[in-house]
Amino acid sequence: LPPDAQMSDPGLDRLFQALADPYRRGMVDQLSRGPASVKALAEPAGLALPSALKHLGVLEAGGIVVSEKSGRVRTYRMQPGALADIEAWVAQRQRNWNQSFDRLDQLMAQTPELPEE
Amino acid sequence: MADANAAHSTFVIERPLAGSPRHAFRFWADAALKQRWISCHPDWTQLDYSLDFRAGGGEISRTRSPDGAEHGVTARYLDIVEGRRIVYAYDMTVDALRISASLATVLFIPTGTGTLMQFTEQLALLDGSTDAKGRRDGSEIGFERLALELERDLATLQ
Repeated sequence: LPPDAQMSDPGLDRLFQALADPYRRGMVDQLSRGPASVKALAEPAGLALPSALKHLGVLEAGGIVVSEKSGRVRTYRMQPGALADIEAWVAQRQRNWNQSFDRLDQLMAQTPELPEE
Repeated sequence: MADANAAHSTFVIERPLAGSPRHAFRFWADAALKQRWISCHPDWTQLDYSLDFRAGGGEISRTRSPDGAEHGVTARYLDIVEGRRIVYAYDMTVDALRISASLATVLFIPTGTGTLMQFTEQLALLDGSTDAKGRRDGSEIGFERLALELERDLATLQ
């Protein structure tokens, strides 16, 4: 399949790219627990402020986080619904397993156990 | 240049099952039994299925959906403890596109009345997977398959 035949969604490509970096995933993990300043995000990651700002810029361009400046402090927070596509995909996989396990449960109940050897 | 990114997720499903861990294990280890519960799509054509259930062995399933797409699941068993634990890696493809790669761990824990099956999947969702075809994979599920399976079992019992 040539790359251009894969009807890819530019929004999702940006989302994947934004999450491809371990520092950015760490930041998303932290922000999913609540808003934080640049300093509060940089410190646990061991990043200098300019590096942290660069990563946060990628996350903001990817539509995953939003920021606002109040005085001299810029605070970042999750963009509501940003991870919905990935979550929906994983939820689908879980639903598939649950339906398979429903059948497994039925089938087990209807099949006699083999005697102990 | 094509992008090559991944998103990661881990989930755990716990299922109480009627029957011993040994009984539950059989349904993963026996090819004929496994095929009866694993497939989600009664309207898909099975093109190929093989199961070599041992550490180092593998499982291959290829199916075709009514829209003509070919869906592949390829697994490799990494660790098997008879009646207790199965660890395997698997990937899923739609036509030439690999949409995910996972590590799955299945534990069969004995309880007073039966088995608690704990299924953990550590999943790398590969990009390209959310295109139109990838999204369709697994989305057309319902209770048809379960209903068919029940009918067949009832017919067997009668």
